[in-house]
Amino acid sequence: MTKPKISSDWMCGCAGCHMSLLDMDERILKIVELADLRATPITDLKEPDASGVDVGVLEGGINNTANEEVAHKMRERSKILVALGDCAVFGGVPALRNFCGVEAALRRAYVEAESNEEGSQIPNDPELATMTQTRAVHEVVSVDYNVPGCPPDPDVIFYVLSELAQGRKPELKDELLHWH
Amino acid sequence: MVQITINKQQIDVPEGTTVLRAAEMAGINIPHLCDHKELTPYGGCRLCIVEVQGIRVPMASCTLPVSNGLVVETETEALKKSRQFVLSMLFSERNHFCPFCQVSGGDCELQNAAYHEEMTHWPIQPGWSDFPVDTSHPYFVLDNNRCILCRRCVRACAEMAGNFTLSVAERGAKSMIVADTDIPLGESTCIKCGSCVQVCPTGALIDRTSAYQSHDKNLQEIKSVCVGCSVGCSIKIMVRDNRIVRIEGNWDGAVNHGAMCEHGRYHESNENRVRITTPLMKKNGKLEPVSWDEALSAVQEKMTKEGVAALASTRLSAETLAAFKDLFESKLHSKLVTSIEEGVPTAAVAKFAETHEGFEGKLDALKTADTVLCVGANVNRSHMVAGFLFKRNLNAGVNLINIDPDETSLDEVARVALKPKAGSDHLLILALQAVIAKEELERKSLNIKDADARIKKAIAETGISEADLTKAARMLAHAISPMIVFGKGVTAQRDEKLIEALYQLAVQVGAVDGERSNILSLKGEANSQSAALMGLDQPFNPNGEKVTYLAVGDDYVSKKLVEKTSKAEYLVVQASYESKLTEQADVVLPVSIWAEQEGHYINLDGRMRKTEKAVNAPENVRDNLDVLTELAKRMKLTLDADWKKSIRERKSSVALN
Repeated sequence: MTKPKISSDWMCGCAGCHMSLLDMDERILKIVELADLRATPITDLKEPDASGVDVGVLEGGINNTANEEVAHKMRERSKILVALGDCAVFGGVPALRNFCGVEAALRRAYVEAESNEEGSQIPNDPELATMTQTRAVHEVVSVDYNVPGCPPDPDVIFYVLSELAQGRKPELKDELLHWH
Repeated sequence: MVQITINKQQIDVPEGTTVLRAAEMAGINIPHLCDHKELTPYGGCRLCIVEVQGIRVPMASCTLPVSNGLVVETETEALKKSRQFVLSMLFSERNHFCPFCQVSGGDCELQNAAYHEEMTHWPIQPGWSDFPVDTSHPYFVLDNNRCILCRRCVRACAEMAGNFTLSVAERGAKSMIVADTDIPLGESTCIKCGSCVQVCPTGALIDRTSAYQSHDKNLQEIKSVCVGCSVGCSIKIMVRDNRIVRIEGNWDGAVNHGAMCEHGRYHESNENRVRITTPLMKKNGKLEPVSWDEALSAVQEKMTKEGVAALASTRLSAETLAAFKDLFESKLHSKLVTSIEEGVPTAAVAKFAETHEGFEGKLDALKTADTVLCVGANVNRSHMVAGFLFKRNLNAGVNLINIDPDETSLDEVARVALKPKAGSDHLLILALQAVIAKEELERKSLNIKDADARIKKAIAETGISEADLTKAARMLAHAISPMIVFGKGVTAQRDEKLIEALYQLAVQVGAVDGERSNILSLKGEANSQSAALMGLDQPFNPNGEKVTYLAVGDDYVSKKLVEKTSKAEYLVVQASYESKLTEQADVVLPVSIWAEQEGHYINLDGRMRKTEKAVNAPENVRDNLDVLTELAKRMKLTLDADWKKSIRERKSSVALN
């Protein structure tokens, strides 16, 4: 029997959820034993297999057109899609800019911030992705499992991945359920 | 009793209990947000819905009274779905992103509720509207973005503090908690009691000092009694790493049932004075750090038979006060042994009690009084929680008559505010009696013969109009459960005749009869009554004593006391904090503060309660009682006073219990 394939990617997050994944220490060997870890930000493959994976994991919210592509691709190629961490589940800290709008946030960051040089402008290279409102993954593509936490505890990530790798449905409750 | 069934469990509860409270009695927790056991049920959040047999739709259990045979289910799949929906709606209203909220991680009732319903996400994302944040208050921040409009704070402000500052402005999703007419909290009529912060289920109202200092689960909770004043509120001292993080009202404690005032909640834990951490002795005109041994030896040597003028703070425990009295009065035979309050709030009352033992009543009577007469008792400034007990009922028709020569904020909520010229309040009380007698409104006749003369004299000398006098007298006489509260404005005059006049007025209007005695003096500091009972209540007028010993503990020191002791031949100050007094001392003995020691206190209505030690004192600081004991030991004296006996030496104005 072939091992189930797991792939992950990150979008509008801080990489902290993947750090937390690594924080499970030697238990990552158990995950590798149970599953075939394919494209992830921490492995060499950069895209989920075109032939599809069993579990796709997305960290971060969706705040531009590039992230939308990543999310759609992961959704299309995954049997089960996991939204990992508060940004993927709720929008998280980046979603705070929704309260002021993309324009105001960009202006603050690239023009008004004290660290900017005189005459700084909002980047407008046509190759850049277009910024959008920050959204939770489930607002863009359907999500099978939301795993909240900022970041989710390594124990929670290990539990979710090992359950999914063994074909079981993870149930997040009690000690395993934290939004932070 | 009514019998109901909750989750197949049969229980008997008193009639009028809500289903939510009944479930609690049976150990069943029904998730809820807007309900709070000390507040009137509101039925706003709908999280506490339950299924009731025979009723088609789920019912809010917080507003549903029990009835015989009621069959209730609190945890079904359908209810879980409904609660998840209720929570989804709440989360969609405002900014409830958890990662940067100070209550996240156990202290947020909204988050905990979501965990209870096993919600892993919000099905509906928020609407991204921005709401105002009010940071104008010295003690807390109001962030409307975190608010779920449960109105606990609004109810706490009205029902606990009786202050009616907070309310809701706008309608629907735009509703907002505002102070007064939507002005900054810091400029509002807020009396800074912090009750709203204590009841807030989310991070909408957060305490400035304790925010981000610790999750509640990491705090040690020490149940104790506030020593801020003679009300003696039940408190919880929240401690982490030997540091007071926050003080809360104890919901389950006597007297205040969770309510607290600015002084107790914030002042006692935010100390700005400089702590003394080592014994000090004046050498060449300068205070120098010395060892305890050196300091105590020096003090002991000076305590000759020529007499010591001794004064102790009434914030000290009864044990300490008894030892203090024993050492200086019984063992050293000093003539001048008294307290820092010099009997101002208690001496006249104590004298009157010699003939009228236990004439004072209970604080709780204020909760049910329909007319309250305050005489020289500004409960908006001191003894605030005593004021809460009736102020919360003012909107429900309770009358307040305020007699005070000074303008106070209490006048604003009084139906009648009488301002007698200074020193004329006795005439005013006699005139009130006269009007009541003349109009034949007496419950018990005082046989007043000179009613007209009294009224005439009062109008001439108090500066109060006949109309106001009559209005107040009628209001008091018509009351079904009147209560008279008097404070320092009366007792400072040391005139027991004035106390007697008030007592007679109480008898005349039925505040005092065979069944009740609704008259109460506010007293002063936490242990005023203990000091009074031990006779530590004479004026402090040193008269050539060679040594002056001031055990002020962590009390504030008045200018007057500093002046009176500035010429002292040899001044010993037992104190926790630096002050003008310690500056002029010959020896300073550093002692523990209220939260670092335990001991007994008698509050204004005679409750004997024990405070608990919550934190450790700094290394070289000693307990107030230990210092006295050690000093006695060095003088080959054994202190053998039993505080329980000491407080029985005199007749008490309040029944002790």
